[in-house]
Amino acid sequence: MIPMTNSDLKLFVEFLLNKNYTIHSPVRKNGKIVIREITDSRKFSLIKERPLYSFKNFLLPDKKTLFSTTSDENKNGNDQKLIRKQVLFGITVFDLRAVSLLSQIFEKDPYFQDIISMTLFIGQSPIPEENSFYEKYEENILEHFKFDIFIESRGDQKDFRIFTGSKHGQKMLNEFGYDDFEHIEYAGAVPEEGLSDFHKKLKEKTKLSYGSKIWKDLGKKCLGCDKCAIVCPTCFCFKIYDENNIFNDSIARVRQWDSCFNSEFSEIAGGTKFLKTMEDRIYNWYSHKFVRIPDEYNLPGCVGCGRCADVCPAGINIKDEIFKIMKFKAKKPIAKMSKFKSKTLKKPRTKKLIYEKPI
Amino acid sequence: MRNQYKTYPLIITNIESQNALVKVFTLKPEDRKNIKCATDEKKIIKCWVPGQFISISIPGFGEAPFAICSSPNPCNEFQICVQKKGGLTSKFFSMSVGDEIDFRGPYGNGFPISKLSKRNLLLIAGGLGLAPLRPLIQIIANHAAEFGKVQLFGGSREEKMMLFKNEYGAWRKNIELNLTLDIPNENWNGSTGLVTALFDKIPISKNAIAIICGPPVMFPAVIKKIKKKGVAEKNIYLLLERRMHCGVGICQHCVLVNGKYVCKDGPVFNYAEIKDSPGAI
Repeated sequence: MIPMTNSDLKLFVEFLLNKNYTIHSPVRKNGKIVIREITDSRKFSLIKERPLYSFKNFLLPDKKTLFSTTSDENKNGNDQKLIRKQVLFGITVFDLRAVSLLSQIFEKDPYFQDIISMTLFIGQSPIPEENSFYEKYEENILEHFKFDIFIESRGDQKDFRIFTGSKHGQKMLNEFGYDDFEHIEYAGAVPEEGLSDFHKKLKEKTKLSYGSKIWKDLGKKCLGCDKCAIVCPTCFCFKIYDENNIFNDSIARVRQWDSCFNSEFSEIAGGTKFLKTMEDRIYNWYSHKFVRIPDEYNLPGCVGCGRCADVCPAGINIKDEIFKIMKFKAKKPIAKMSKFKSKTLKKPRTKKLIYEKPI
Repeated sequence: MRNQYKTYPLIITNIESQNALVKVFTLKPEDRKNIKCATDEKKIIKCWVPGQFISISIPGFGEAPFAICSSPNPCNEFQICVQKKGGLTSKFFSMSVGDEIDFRGPYGNGFPISKLSKRNLLLIAGGLGLAPLRPLIQIIANHAAEFGKVQLFGGSREEKMMLFKNEYGAWRKNIELNLTLDIPNENWNGSTGLVTALFDKIPISKNAIAIICGPPVMFPAVIKKIKKKGVAEKNIYLLLERRMHCGVGICQHCVLVNGKYVCKDGPVFNYAEIKDSPGAI
């Protein structure tokens, strides 16, 4: 197999631009990794670190018009013509995992599916030399991800091995003039064995620990700012409301990202709230990821990217919290509790926030 | 792909004022095919199940779920009971017969009609909670032989807040009506106090299935009371109210801690299904 070189990638970017694709890819800007549109292939180079924001809003826009009184096309919610062909170039395994989950959740959602059908996913492997990556990258995880092309980089090598995950990806590469790729057949989002033992245990422990000190402490610590929900690649809660535009006398029904950290999230007419306290709300957030999504879709609700810990102004680190949940034991005698506490404190804090064992 | 958020037109064919804050709207879909239909094996239900709800929308004012408060026979129109509370319902109150609004649904599971067959029933309603029970009451009134002894325990704040007053006479033919007011006026000769107080005065039929519908604050007190009076936990059903945006189990606004969606798995739950889910009631 002849691998692709960096200059091959630049040419491939050029090729996609000529095909009228809008390319979104991580770039380095003022020392930060952000996702930007790539318009000049000469300046392109593959950034291997994960951007602070995920690719979520390219698939599930933060605000989407469902219906509008301005255009006839939009009246029935069918605005396929307005969706542009896009490439998510360099989407990491974390975000691909999130895309698999969102594709299950929004399986029957025409707005999401229309966008997905116009999107070319070009994935990339994480940097292998960073030993704390939870996803010890192995080829066999790829069969559970929906992608078109996958770029594998090995730490010691400059060049890239190329995989394809769809006919579309194969066609693109063939047209580009590269055929030294390996094809990986999609085996469905859920692995045959279902949830990993780690996630099965985490699910049970999260349920068991309801009302415990873990959540009381988090309830005190959390500010409810919902930054975590914004950067999380799997957070998808939304609200639907009508927006009146007085300038062109039109009405639009819009779907916008919502967050279960907002106190009015669970409010009903008359003012009763069902998620009353911050403790209720943060438990709801965690249990959605570790209990409800696994129960409903047989997939973990957290991909382990650690973005939420990067942005939390209160310093809540999901990895530490998972560690506490996993250690939780119900009705433990008080004498033994102190031992349990000191153990928690001894745990080394690593900079990276990845918790799962290699698959 | 069918757009699950698409709404269909409805014409307001009648408006009946219940009191200053509550009106019953009769709504007729422009095309009956736009109603998602359900049928039970006994063919009592031909179109929607009592306890189901529809999402009503008025362009510019948004969408909200409303329980259908009329019997599914005939099923070419339905009624909803609207209390003036917020923006959408205030707009609703300003509308007249002939105006057009939109809907999607019906959604939700509705009451377990097949399980109620030949059984003694306790229908317990607080305030506006009588509205979702009304289609069930109408079915019972028309198919009395299909059910055992039916008792209705209803509580309202004041006499002027009581709903469907002109129908009580017809209901009484097949249903034992026990009503109470929190704040009685001079003319009231029925019971006073909360609905829970009624159970101390009136014996409830044996081995009954209880269906509770009312404001969230009512549930714990009523459940405690009727359990004391011998109603088995497995025979208690509750209709829960939640904020709903999508109606199809995705947006997460109505989810319970145990992972059940009020819009999709409810709004009617057996008590056993939710009693271990904190905050459900």
